Amino acid sequence: MIEALQFLWPAFLVAICLVGIHTYFGIQVLARQVIFVDLALAQIAALGATVAFMLGHPAQSMATYGYSLTFTLLAAVLLAFTRAWGTRVPQEALIGVIYVVAAAMAILLIDRAPQGAEHLKQILTGNILTSGFSEVAVIVPLYAAVGLLHWLLRHRMSGGGALVWEFIFYATLGIVVTSSVAIAGVLLVFSFLIIPAAIGVMFAESLSRQLAIGWIVGTFVSAAGLAASFIFDLPTGAAMVCAFGASLAFAGVLYSFLLGNRRWAMRSTIGAVRWIGAVILAASAVQLAAAPRADQPLMDMAEYAIPSLRTLYFTRAEAMTVADASEHAERYRREAEQLNEMERRNRTQGEALDDFSVARISSFLKSYGEMRKGEQFVMGEVRARARERVRWSASFGLLALSLLLAPVRWRWPVRK
Amino acid sequence: MALRSVLIVALLALASPGFAQDRVQVVTTTTDLRSLTEAVGGDRVAAVSLVPPNLDAEDYQPKPQDVLRLKAARLLVRVGLDYDLWVDRLLAQTGRPDISRGGPAYVDASFAIAVLELRGMSVGPGDGHAHGSGNPHYWLDPKNAETITANIVEALARVDPANASIYEANRQTFLARLNAKLAEWETKLSALKTVPIVAYHNSWPYFARRFRLDVVGFIETKPGVPPSPSHLAEIVRSMRERSARIVMREPHEPERDVAFVANKVGAKVVTLAASVGALPKTDDYISLFDVNVEALTSAVAKR
Repeated sequence: MIEALQFLWPAFLVAICLVGIHTYFGIQVLARQVIFVDLALAQIAALGATVAFMLGHPAQSMATYGYSLTFTLLAAVLLAFTRAWGTRVPQEALIGVIYVVAAAMAILLIDRAPQGAEHLKQILTGNILTSGFSEVAVIVPLYAAVGLLHWLLRHRMSGGGALVWEFIFYATLGIVVTSSVAIAGVLLVFSFLIIPAAIGVMFAESLSRQLAIGWIVGTFVSAAGLAASFIFDLPTGAAMVCAFGASLAFAGVLYSFLLGNRRWAMRSTIGAVRWIGAVILAASAVQLAAAPRADQPLMDMAEYAIPSLRTLYFTRAEAMTVADASEHAERYRREAEQLNEMERRNRTQGEALDDFSVARISSFLKSYGEMRKGEQFVMGEVRARARERVRWSASFGLLALSLLLAPVRWRWPVRK
Repeated sequence: MALRSVLIVALLALASPGFAQDRVQVVTTTTDLRSLTEAVGGDRVAAVSLVPPNLDAEDYQPKPQDVLRLKAARLLVRVGLDYDLWVDRLLAQTGRPDISRGGPAYVDASFAIAVLELRGMSVGPGDGHAHGSGNPHYWLDPKNAETITANIVEALARVDPANASIYEANRQTFLARLNAKLAEWETKLSALKTVPIVAYHNSWPYFARRFRLDVVGFIETKPGVPPSPSHLAEIVRSMRERSARIVMREPHEPERDVAFVANKVGAKVVTLAASVGALPKTDDYISLFDVNVEALTSAVAKR
């Protein structure tokens, strides 16, 4: 546990640095309505690195970095101009085009590349878990310099100025994003950029307050995501992205309670929850009645959570058949695992198995796999038949529940 | 008279085995199978691999030319075991039953291979493969080349019966050379018998079994999913415990994640080629092993 925490806190430090600069850029990006600009810039930088690789430069050389930077600056010029062009066509459309064309060109280049060009895709798939102090040492001075530049030019960065200021904005964003995407990956950098900024913009008017809210939220959510990744044993980047998504949803609900009409917000939230519940129940009822043998997501989830629910509609014989089949399936799985484990250990320990014995193990494993599949088929078949038997009564029950839950006032027709 | 002799010479030239049009066109999915096909076919076959040497064959995106290559092929050789599933869709587009599953000119090279790590659908603690039909990296055991080349020669004999004995003779010569090399590799790698190794991806069970290498763990437990913090901690802990000093990776696998784990325990990163052409100087099946064996032994020597 302590070892895992040792991995997490350098990642947390990196996350704080990334939240710091990206929240600021996120507020600017939201104001300019160029939401996906970071993807386009990162992809352009990757294209630059691909070109450098094609010309024979090693992956982590200064030359490769130079190509990435040049491509990013060219893209910044292009992006600065897109605002001027984007009178009839939204700027976001042009950004999307830049993104897909850069991605496609990189694929075309890699297809023609000499050996080992595949590792270039690593530029776009960083992993925050394996980042640490060496990354912090690089990004802190870089981000501080970019932050200082923006502070000095703070009256020019509002998004309405001359092309040169737009160019500086996109160029610095490009430099930041190129380094952060290599550290944390495209998905997480997009979350760092947009979500804390969006929450800040939601709750405050002035830039400094937006920034403060964004930084606090970003830091806490990063910590929560890292903790979730540790506790539930999840891939770190994906867990953090989901934590950021949840924080935005929570902020949205909170917003309507804090800044809207509280009673109305409460009523509409409860109403929405009841409608959703009613629709799910009604859809499950229809699904069960129409296709009892198909997947029943609601019933499957309920039975997964509380297996004893099955006893409600299984006959005694059915319950016994299922229990028996499940026990056998588990036994076959265990035996197959034991064989696999024995073969694995034998690779280094004891007398080596000859090829004939390995072939025999292999055919045993195949048989166990088939037998397990058979038992699972039995379990599925028994359940499907039981559901077929109770389809009408169960679906009427679900429908009744759904009607109870729906936020509609049921009245008897009253005669005048 | 002159015309007649010219005609005779021309016909003889056409009939000679070295003439390009007369070669048996073979399409393989990977470069490893291409190299093995060339080894048994000699100058009587022209083999081409659909996946270029530098790409990951498991998520290859076929190109339009690939359909043309298959249309012109007299024989198709594939890895099987869910490794190159994309070729099924290509074959459906090509519309050639003879080179499709069950056809006389279709070779699933995994036929009769003793498959390792067979598991049902998602069974057991994941250690690197979603393949329901076992670990597909079987060509990395040089001994399996015997079975693979036998599958290829059998099919070559069906499409080109006139030269069947030549293919088998070529195969015997190749296997003799391979067996001599195998003994050499085994001697060299015996230096690694007591050296625990961690791999990025579970590509090496056949290689490890043949050369009795101790692969104690994998950084990536499911293909394409980055590791969780507790898994990484577990890997580092077991590497410290067993003093594992080598981390193997393939050229297309993330450099940073591997370096991160290696740095934690002061281990050395060794880049190995899992396929012919993935690294410089791995031009054929035998040099593939030469390069890998050399990389591993020099990593141990420097320790």
